[in-house]
Amino acid sequence: MKKYLLKRVLTSIFTLLVILLVLFILMQLMPGSPFNDEKLTADQKAALYAKYGLDQPVIIQFFRYVANMLRGDFGVSYNISKNTPISQLIATRLPISIYIGFMAVLVGAVIGLLLGLLAAFKHDTIWDTIATIISVIGVSVPSYVFALALSYQFGFKLRWFPILFSQQQMFQSSVLPSISLSMFTMASIARFTRSEMLEVLGSDYMLLAESKGLSGKTLIFRHALRNALIPIITVLAPLIVDLMTGSLVVEKIFAIPGVGSLLVTAIQSNDYNVVIALSFIYSAMYIGIMLVVDILYGIIDPRIRLAKEGS
Amino acid sequence: MSDINAGIAANAGYIPTEADFQFKNKGKVLGNDENFAGQSYWREVVIRFFKKKSAVVGMIFIILIAVFAIAGPGMNKYTYEEQNLAQKNLAPRIPGLEKLGIFNGNESMNTTSGSKTVNSYKDKGFTKVYYWFGSDNFGRDIWTRTWSGARVSLIIAVAATVIDMLIGLTYGLISGYFGGKVDMVMQRILEVANGIPRLVIVTLLLLVLKPGMITIVFALMLTEWIGMSRIARAEMLKLKEQEYVLASKTLGASNMHIIFREILPNIIGPVITQVMFSIPTAIFTEAFLSFVGLGIPVPQCSLGSLISDGFNSFTTHPYQIVPPVIVMALLMLSFNLVADGLREALDPKLKEM
Repeated sequence: MKKYLLKRVLTSIFTLLVILLVLFILMQLMPGSPFNDEKLTADQKAALYAKYGLDQPVIIQFFRYVANMLRGDFGVSYNISKNTPISQLIATRLPISIYIGFMAVLVGAVIGLLLGLLAAFKHDTIWDTIATIISVIGVSVPSYVFALALSYQFGFKLRWFPILFSQQQMFQSSVLPSISLSMFTMASIARFTRSEMLEVLGSDYMLLAESKGLSGKTLIFRHALRNALIPIITVLAPLIVDLMTGSLVVEKIFAIPGVGSLLVTAIQSNDYNVVIALSFIYSAMYIGIMLVVDILYGIIDPRIRLAKEGS
Repeated sequence: MSDINAGIAANAGYIPTEADFQFKNKGKVLGNDENFAGQSYWREVVIRFFKKKSAVVGMIFIILIAVFAIAGPGMNKYTYEEQNLAQKNLAPRIPGLEKLGIFNGNESMNTTSGSKTVNSYKDKGFTKVYYWFGSDNFGRDIWTRTWSGARVSLIIAVAATVIDMLIGLTYGLISGYFGGKVDMVMQRILEVANGIPRLVIVTLLLLVLKPGMITIVFALMLTEWIGMSRIARAEMLKLKEQEYVLASKTLGASNMHIIFREILPNIIGPVITQVMFSIPTAIFTEAFLSFVGLGIPVPQCSLGSLISDGFNSFTTHPYQIVPPVIVMALLMLSFNLVADGLREALDPKLKEM
């Protein structure tokens, strides 16, 4: 287990370093310098370069850059809001995005699980068909189509929920974005739960447990559910990534002031610093989530741990 | 050996006749297993595929959309970029159908005093003008634009397939076949590449390159191959110890011959399935980029940018967003259904949902 853990952590750190290197190279390639004021003389520029360490060798600059990024010092924004520290820009937006993302995962996981279980237990009945249809639609229709449909029906026509996000009504206005964002998660988890559950229900150890005379409740909760749930953790990690991309679109539709919409504005207005900072944050979050999921998976299921150690 | 030789010697003068090659209990009773021997693997695949109704429906929709994507923009006199500001925001109107009370150019307008039905064609005197799916904010024909957009999505689908086949497949096959150090290095590279979120790769590319078709294809190239290479590697590991590979090696076949001529034909099933599943992801990536305004540049259009345009006026003119949304949803759904059907047809053991 220790060896596996160490290997995973090292890979993650290495990946993060690669990303930082790519970002650093991009920064070097970008046109212009941080000091674009035409009034500066060559001497003044040189002094400024010395002050910020830009006259040092590239290697040292890189490590300084890495240290700054890890400390959360991303520099200042050039275009979106001039000379505001980016960490400040992001600090107000990140919690909103995380809140909506968390709601979406919660809704998606719970409903998806229930739907998948329903389909598995009522296998080959009308319930199964309904659950299958819902999950196929959920997987194939993009989240912004759901977002548009929901905001048209429940926001514009019925006026149950606000069309646009407002911080005063945090909960009401995050209902529609969360639901539209959760559709893909829900559908994938439903599909996965169903097939896992069917496999477990048809396994030999379930037959053994049943023939031992265990009651239905113990049978389902102690034996079936536990084994079926383990692999579901693995699908959650890639789903969280889809939430990131999905959030860009959903944030645009509902005018949510989150990091997704910040990223889009930053790309459109060529605000390199912001784009790079956000790329770093997205990558770090992604790598962190993948790491946690892998470790959790190793802890929960000894078979995976042993298999990975063996290879 | 000597027994056989003796037997042959004893029968030296015997010439076999046709009857020697018949089954003893002639006829259907014993018969050879016609059900299985008579059908090739691919014929069975086709039969299994066509038995699954959802997959067939999906395929029909893909073909229909493809036909319209090719022929649709040429079916009326408008072009995708032609603007006619005098004829903007006209509701759908189709000759013939308008007499039935649908697609007659009526739209309901919500005003402060309630809703009323207006017909901009009559009000503005365009009696001879027909926009089948309506016209947009700049007076462009939505029918033509929708199908041009579908064309972009299909081009992306083809690009994704080619990328999957060229990069992902080759990478996975080579990594799995050579094993050892080669595999070690290639898998570490893959792990790192997989650790970078797709969104970040795409955004960084957009910083360096101009938005457009080439950038999108390039972004897909950097992200799409990973899934396929994993499948190809796993299949390769399963097959490379088989006897026929050993036989081919003994006969002096080169590595490339073994990888592409001996093993590849045997793993084509999972490969096709994976390609079909990666197509919707690719289409979605493009549509998503265009939707947030980072995809195909104007005046060209894709389904994503059309949805984005329609979104701006979807409370006042909801008909503008409907065609691209429906085509997009149908396209994604169809590819998923076909992929599901193909997976089951190619691998009958795998009966998932």
